[in-house]
Amino acid sequence: MPPIGDSNERVSAILNANWNKPRNLKPFKEGMRHCFWFALAAAGLILAGCASEAARKVVLTGNVMVDGPEAIAYGPARDKVLWQYRTAAAAMRQARFDLAKQYLDDALTRIQGIFGPDPNARKARGYFHAEAKKTFIGEPYERSMAYIYRGILYWMDGEPDNARACFRSAEVEDSDTENHEYAGDWVLPDYLDGLATAKLGGDGSDAFKRAQSNAKGLNLPPYNPKANVLFFLEFGPGPTKFAAGEYQEKLCFYSSPSPVRSAELIVEALQIPVAPTDDVGFQATTRGGRVMDHILGNKAVFKASTDVAGDVAIIGGASTLLAGGGRNATMNEIGGGLIAAGVISKIISSATIPAADIRAWDNLPHYLSFACLTLAPGPHLATLEFLDPAGRLMPQLTKTVSFEVPALGKDKVIFVSDQSSTPQTL
Amino acid sequence: MDFPNYRIPFAALAAAGLISGCTSGVKNPSGVPVTEMRADERGFVAGTGIESQDIVMVTDKMARSILAIPQIASAQGVPHIVLDPVVNESRFPINKEIFLTRIEGQLSTKAMGKVIFLARERMVALERERELKRSGQVTASADPAPVEFKGADFFLTGKIQSLNSRTGAGISDYVLYTFELIDARTSEKVWMDQAEIKKQGLEDAAYR
Repeated sequence: MPPIGDSNERVSAILNANWNKPRNLKPFKEGMRHCFWFALAAAGLILAGCASEAARKVVLTGNVMVDGPEAIAYGPARDKVLWQYRTAAAAMRQARFDLAKQYLDDALTRIQGIFGPDPNARKARGYFHAEAKKTFIGEPYERSMAYIYRGILYWMDGEPDNARACFRSAEVEDSDTENHEYAGDWVLPDYLDGLATAKLGGDGSDAFKRAQSNAKGLNLPPYNPKANVLFFLEFGPGPTKFAAGEYQEKLCFYSSPSPVRSAELIVEALQIPVAPTDDVGFQATTRGGRVMDHILGNKAVFKASTDVAGDVAIIGGASTLLAGGGRNATMNEIGGGLIAAGVISKIISSATIPAADIRAWDNLPHYLSFACLTLAPGPHLATLEFLDPAGRLMPQLTKTVSFEVPALGKDKVIFVSDQSSTPQTL
Repeated sequence: MDFPNYRIPFAALAAAGLISGCTSGVKNPSGVPVTEMRADERGFVAGTGIESQDIVMVTDKMARSILAIPQIASAQGVPHIVLDPVVNESRFPINKEIFLTRIEGQLSTKAMGKVIFLARERMVALERERELKRSGQVTASADPAPVEFKGADFFLTGKIQSLNSRTGAGISDYVLYTFELIDARTSEKVWMDQAEIKKQGLEDAAYR
């Protein structure tokens, strides 16, 4: 046996081998060793190829101010607006208003240009993609909240007319409810629309009437165009989304009872009780059915019917095979065909995804409220106390805000959440 | 180790592995390259709000219209105009100054000196400069004592209003742009013109 040197020698050694003699397994083992390395290298390459494809993984820390910018920059594009919403709300509570403006402007530009064909939305309507594949713009209550926050920021910048524009858009976002029973029924945006109009020298009475008609037992204070300090308040945890139904195809909203029910504003000798004007949970739950709910319902029906059809075909096919006893070729073919069709139907059923999109702007408040007063120009200190449903003080939520009222007639706008950092100097 | 016979299949497999890795898995949406467009054309990113083509159309129309009125076309001397901020009563938050800035630009470049705009938005800087000259801290080419800031003959201002509806059939936004020239002495509106734009759109069913 020549030594296994180059490949030609190895081939001739194998061809000339006398099979009656005890076999020399060395070439075989060598080949196997080559195959092993070959397979290992191939697997490594494939895995490396797959690894290079994955997008940068966004690791969530639970801190929106860390996760938000990371997810906006590196996360899926379809979730960008969602993270912009969340980060903007968190930024407002930390008095980082410029950051909030930047995120809200980007998000609002996106939701204003959502018309026409959208490949992601088309996919979301398809049987084999989840609704969550679509670009997130939020349900109407979420879009309205984005406009409300932006309106507050415009007013803060001394642009009450642009603030009013945002409050009007907030109502428009809410105006396509089922049966129109709860269309455009936010209280605060209408009230602030009228207040901005009154401050700009116009007649805000129509907007006031609309706000009062939706205020449900709450007596809204008449406008005081001379009020120069405006407090925007929010408190309590906002609504959440969950999916119900056999295939999670029904989008539902849940608004837990808020541990905070009202607030008290204390500025020097003034002590002003602040009741909620808007319930975000109510806005989430009164929109009614969506067009997308019908699409998801159809998907669920399709999934169920293909599943049942698959079961029927497989059972029928198996019964046919059994009845033929394996000796009747025609029955064998029919039985086999039915089983194959049943399996295909089951595969189609399992690939159908009717699950509703439950991505939610999860750091919204439960309640919105507002207070305004007239203060002399100069420095002031405000204390915001939050009260539970029984009217008891929740001292751990108390906020203090130092602020300067400008002398030139510009309004001082102060935003306070029960989640705000404290103390703040504005 | 010797691989001479495996060289070709090994290379082919390696290439296949790399290619399959590159083509499978997450599919990243491709972007749209930057496209330079004219300001007066409708882009591929469009909503029902106020957009650049609306601003161009409205301000072009207003500039042409102002130049045709007798108070400007046949004025004795050159009228001085001050811009008064546009009032936004629409549902679209916008930079309102952009309308008057463009009308001013159009009139300044195309009116051949028939109107002069006064820089009232720069009054703080102008007054400071005048005080520096009066106090002798900086040089002056003429006596800084007399009041030489010009008064306005006309105010140019405007208003943006909108009417909106949203139903299951889509969203409709009608925007009315009104501009007017007001005689600063008599308060008469010597000129007024309007432009109106209506846009409708419908989101994909997945968003409704």
